[in-house]
Parts: sequence; structure tokens; C-alpha cells
Amino acid sequence: MITEYRTFLSPKKIYLPLTDNDSKIANLSVKEGDRVLVGQVVSYKFNGKTKTPVLSTVSGTVVGFEEKTDRYSKIVKHIVIENDLLNESIESINYKVKEAQNQLRNYPKNVTTYKNNITAAQVRNQLANLGIDKVSVDGLYTDISFSGEIKHVVLNAVFTNEPFISTDYELIIHNAEDIVDGICLLGLAGDTTSLTVIVDRFMPAEALEELGKATVDRDIELVTIDVKKATAWDYKVIKKLVKKDLNINLLEDGVVYTSIQTALMVHNAIRKGLPIVKRQVAITGDGLKINAVYDVRVGTLFSDLVNDLEGYYDIDYMNLHIGSFLTGIQLDSDDFAITQTIDSINVSEYRKVEEDVCIKCGDCNDICPAGILPQNIMNAELKNLNSRIIELDTHLCVECGLCTYACPSEINVMKWVRRAKRRIK
Amino acid sequence: MNFLTKNPPIVMNSQRTYKRTFTLHFVLIIVAVAAIILEVLTVVPNDATYTALDQTFKVFLMLVTGVFVSLIIEFLYSLSNGTKKRFNAYKGYVDPINTGLLIALLLPTITPIYVLVLAVIVGVFVGKILFGGYGKYIFNPVLVGVLFVNLVFSSQLVVTNTPLMLLKKALNEGTFQINNLTELIIGNYDSLAIGTTSLALLMFAFAYLCITKVVDLRISGTFLLTVLVMSFGIGYINFYVAGDMSEVVGYTLINMITGFTVFAAVFLISETVSSPTSRETKMIYAVVVAASMMTIRTLGIQTDGIVIAILFGNMITPLINRIFKRSNTKTFVKTSLFLVLTIAIVTFSLGYIL
Repeated sequence: MITEYRTFLSPKKIYLPLTDNDSKIANLSVKEGDRVLVGQVVSYKFNGKTKTPVLSTVSGTVVGFEEKTDRYSKIVKHIVIENDLLNESIESINYKVKEAQNQLRNYPKNVTTYKNNITAAQVRNQLANLGIDKVSVDGLYTDISFSGEIKHVVLNAVFTNEPFISTDYELIIHNAEDIVDGICLLGLAGDTTSLTVIVDRFMPAEALEELGKATVDRDIELVTIDVKKATAWDYKVIKKLVKKDLNINLLEDGVVYTSIQTALMVHNAIRKGLPIVKRQVAITGDGLKINAVYDVRVGTLFSDLVNDLEGYYDIDYMNLHIGSFLTGIQLDSDDFAITQTIDSINVSEYRKVEEDVCIKCGDCNDICPAGILPQNIMNAELKNLNSRIIELDTHLCVECGLCTYACPSEINVMKWVRRAKRRIK
Repeated sequence: MNFLTKNPPIVMNSQRTYKRTFTLHFVLIIVAVAAIILEVLTVVPNDATYTALDQTFKVFLMLVTGVFVSLIIEFLYSLSNGTKKRFNAYKGYVDPINTGLLIALLLPTITPIYVLVLAVIVGVFVGKILFGGYGKYIFNPVLVGVLFVNLVFSSQLVVTNTPLMLLKKALNEGTFQINNLTELIIGNYDSLAIGTTSLALLMFAFAYLCITKVVDLRISGTFLLTVLVMSFGIGYINFYVAGDMSEVVGYTLINMITGFTVFAAVFLISETVSSPTSRETKMIYAVVVAASMMTIRTLGIQTDGIVIAILFGNMITPLINRIFKRSNTKTFVKTSLFLVLTIAIVTFSLGYIL
């Protein structure tokens, strides 16, 4: 259980991965011994179409390059920067809201107002220059990309990770105005007026009230869900907007879907010119002596955070899990750097799961939000029936993990469906 | 510090397979005990050579024999393939006991013990183990055993004067008298099997198992609804032709509450392994079973066609599983319309043929 808020903003060294699992080509802009400032580009990564800058999050000296496991459990090259604790940053562009407009509450529709102050191209450029493309990566969340046609912008104010790891509501209470501004900016960048925020019926009243106050004149639709049932609410809400079966990459359906933490980062990037130098990470699990929500500088090693949390309990076998419990990633070592895509880390005792036989109850078929039949796909995969896998529309699976969640025999159904998907790709 | 990456700490909901089998086990034991007690209450004819206590002991003996034979076969099989350690915990005993109890409950009191033993051997060995054990079989093992003895030892299993038989006779001869309804609900009448008598208890079990999700309401509910509609339809057409409408309700009630109808809805039809897997296929399966059962009941020689009907449903399960590729609103609406049409056509045909 999370018991406290902590900050860890002055690591001695930071480690920034030069590539990630989409962008595999790195192009360095600095060399060993160079001095870098906060927000300075140290490298670019390419994914074939676009290049994304890697920004330094501290000021200091580049001391070398090291191969390390990254948060996707792949070994990639990291740039190592020694922090001089001066925190000097480069000059940045920002687009402040005009004071008069900010005070005048009853201005007309959001997009026109924002267009007076800043253009869509400016927002897109600013986001690209500050490297805000990947923030929430679990489940259905998309990148912040405007290369295709964007029809809807959807934000999740309920979960950091769908489901189970809920948003820090203090963040909403204190930053509601900024968050809503970020949402409007995302809508402006995508040139859309369809803005939706998913909120929880059982959210603290104060958070809901603040969000309501901030969204009131701005044409933002609040969709209320009931989180007591895990049934892929986000999928259902977005499906209603798009009116067809969803792709695993929602950008292809013209939807940008992200969490409200991203909206706050977008606000900071546009209005204050700040890159993502720090981020909020929820660190939980029975393996750690203290559980906390951290404000941590991007690039900090997780092992440093563990030392700050007074270490692990003496448990023989433990799991380290990054991201959502249904779809996240398992790592075998705690020697990895926090990136802007990490929102939660869980360290807990390893519990052996004994899978029973599949009793063909069909609970997975019932819960699947995409309306496909995971049990039948698993059966086909076990029998190597390629044509049957194609016939069953396996490509529509969005890998939400609810089939595994629902399985009474504790079978990892999603693993089999994923394998089937890879087979026909 | 190193961590294991074997299986992720995936959070699961509270439903568990073993919990479901335990719930079923618990309910089955209650039904078995009730079957024994009901035998004590049954009024024995004056000219009979046995007493009520003899019958009670017979029922008890049948239930125990069924359980033991089933357990012995499963244990021998586990010795042969090296899975003996599953019998270390009570969890491993639950499924064999359930099968043994169900087979015993589906046979009449007059069954000779050797017939019961054969039924269990065929059910557990041929129906279950030959296919690879629990979770792998395609026919409900219980029904395989029961069908086998019903076909081979039919002369040893003759029961007369069950309400359904009286009904069939009455429909042919044109006179029909409904039994005392309270007696029917408590279960004090001659029945085809020892477990199928007390309606009140079975309905209670049905509700409990539906709440605990052991029984899928989409299968059992559709099944019961279809039987209701079809028996009412068939009764209506026939009594309309005969000109006397007062007995339609009686006809429907007898079809619904006696025989294996409710027992099948609770314990047999929604057995998960041998039934289909998605919403639409489950509904089709239930309607197919109900329609076959009503056809056999009205036209066939057998008085209660449920055994063959469910085995027929099991047989076409792979086919309907193969036909359906998605489970969404569109397929649901299409399937429902198709099923309503099917029920209407079957009901009218059966009504007119009869």
C-alpha cells in the first residue's frame, strides 16, 4: 500500500537509453566529455519515419556509454551523464496563455480561443522538439502522434494503468486547470473538437469537482464509468466514439488515447517550455519496505530508488513488474533506468500459479471487449491450425489481458492469443 | 538483486475452477442425501415384497458403489500414467466422486448393482479416461455410462407409472388426470431415477449454482424456457384439436417438473467441458438439446429423451463452435432470431404430427 509521497530529483548519474522498442536507430549529438544542460538534445532516435530527440534531464558531463537492460527487458546502449547538481537549462520557447484570456472565463469554444494564441503546427513542433511522443505505453494507450488524421482525443483520468493502478487524485485536485489546458492543446494539435475524459463514478468528490470546474466551458465530454468491474471500459468508450472494431494501434482509427499525466506534461511543454525531466512513478509491492509515489528524475536507476526506500525484505524469490498487472513487462534485474514511459513498478513475492486444465467455460469469450473468442483461438494455437486462427479474427485482439484475468483455471490465455497473433502476422 | 520472470503477478478475479467443482460436489452430496431420505418417505404398495427401509438401503448402496467404482478406476489410471500425486489432496477426489454420484442418481431404484458398476466403468473409462481425463472429453461421461446401460440392460431397468409415461398414454388414449401437485413438488412419485424427484430441492440447487456461476444460466435458462414454450405449444395444439383446453397447463407442468428436465438443467446440460464456449453457441446448444428432447418425448419410444438429447448436443458442439467466429451484438441478435424461428417451427411440426 502506498503510504507516502517522496521526491528523488538529484541522482549522481543518469542513464538515458538511446533507443527503445520502436525506434531502433540512434544518432548521437554529443560525445564523451561534453557538458550538457537540462533539455539539451544528446541524441536522436529514428523509427524509420520520424526522429525523436533524447533530452538530457540534468546538467553535467557525459561520462560514457554503457550497455544495460532497458524497461522493455532488452539490452540497449545508454548514455551516462554525471550530474553537477547545478540544474542549468537551455533556453526554451513557450507559449503562455494571455493573461486577459485566462481571467475571462466565458470565452467561446476552446479551439478557436487557442488558435488565436497558438497554432496546431506550433503545438506539434513543440511536442516533437521536446520528445513528448511516448508517455503511457501500457494497454490501449497510444503515442502522442499527429501524423495521421486525428478524430478523437480521449484521456483516462481513472487509471494510471488499466485496470487496478489508479490515478493519483491529488494530481487532479492541484492541477485540474493545467490538465484541461493540456487536453485542449492535444485537441488543437490533432485539429479535433471531440475531446473525452473518462472519469470514475467513485472518484473523490473534490477531484471530480475540480475537473468539472475546469472543463465547464470547453466542450470536453466527461464519461463516467464504474470501475468496480474490470471490463475494459476504455475500449467500450472509444468503440462508441469510433463506431467500429478497434485496431491494436488506436492511431489508425484516428484516436489519441492517453492518461491525464500526459496532458499535464503537454501543458508544461507548451506553456512553460519544459521537457519531461521528472515524472511521477508509483512504486508498490510487498517486496519493498516502503511503498511510495515518487517524483523522480528521468534517467535515475531504479536500484537508487530502492536504496532510498530502505531496500527489499528478505524474500527468496521475487517478481519485478513494470506497468499494468495485465499487460506489463517482467524484468530480471533492478539495474534499469526510469524512463518517461514508466508509471508504476511493482516488486512482490513470487507466487507459483498452478494452471488447471481448461474446462471450456467460456468466461474469456464473454469478457473479451473485442468480441473475439480467446478460448477458441487458444485451442487453435495449441493445435497449430493457422487457417482457423485467421478465421477467428485474431488480429482484432488488443491484448488487454482480460481473458487471463477472467480465467478460473488461471491459464495465461493472453499468452496463447499473443502467440497466435505473432504466428499470422 | 535478481528476479524471477517465470509467470507475471497477473491479478485474477475470484472465480476458480476448483471452487466451482467443490460447489457442485457440495450440492450433489445434498441431493444424494435427499434422495436417500425421500426413499424412506415413499409409500410402498401393499403387495410389495420389500419395505421402504430396503429401498433406502438400496439407494445408499448404489450411491456408495458408484462413487467407489469411479474412484478406483481413476486411481488405477493415475497409477498407469504417473499422476498419482493428484490424489494427495481432497481436490483430486472431487471430480471422480461427482461422476460416480451423478451416474448413480440417474438410474432407477430397481437397478441391479452389477448394472450400476458397468455404467460407471463405461462412463468413467470410455467416456472420460479414453479421451484423456477431466477437461478433454467430448461426451458427458455420466451420460455415456447411463446410455450404455439403458440400451444394453433395458429389461432390468423397467419403471412403470412415472408421470411422463402416464402422460404419453393419456395423450394417445385421450384421458389424462394430473397428479397431486404438492406430491410432485416434494418428489413423492415413481420416477425414472433416484435423483430426479424433489423439484423443490432441485430448484433451490439451481438457484444456488446459478449464483455461484457453476451453472451457466444462458444454457440452463434457455433450455428450461425452450422446454416450457415447446411443451405449452404442443399441448395447446393437441388439446385445441381435442376441444378440451383445461389440461394444457397440466401437460406443460408435467413436462417441466417431472422426468429429468430440471435435473438435467442443474447438473447435466451446463457441464462446461462438453458444452460450447461462447454466448451464441451456448444458446444454440440449449435449444438443440431441448428440441431433441421434446421430439423424443412426443414421438419416440423412450419416455425421457434427455440422455440422448444431451449426447446429441455434445456431438454437434464442435460443429457449432466452428461455425461461430465472433461474439458480438450482431451475431447475438441474428442467433436469437434464428432460435425463436427454430423453436416455433419445431413446436408446430411436433404438435401437428402428434
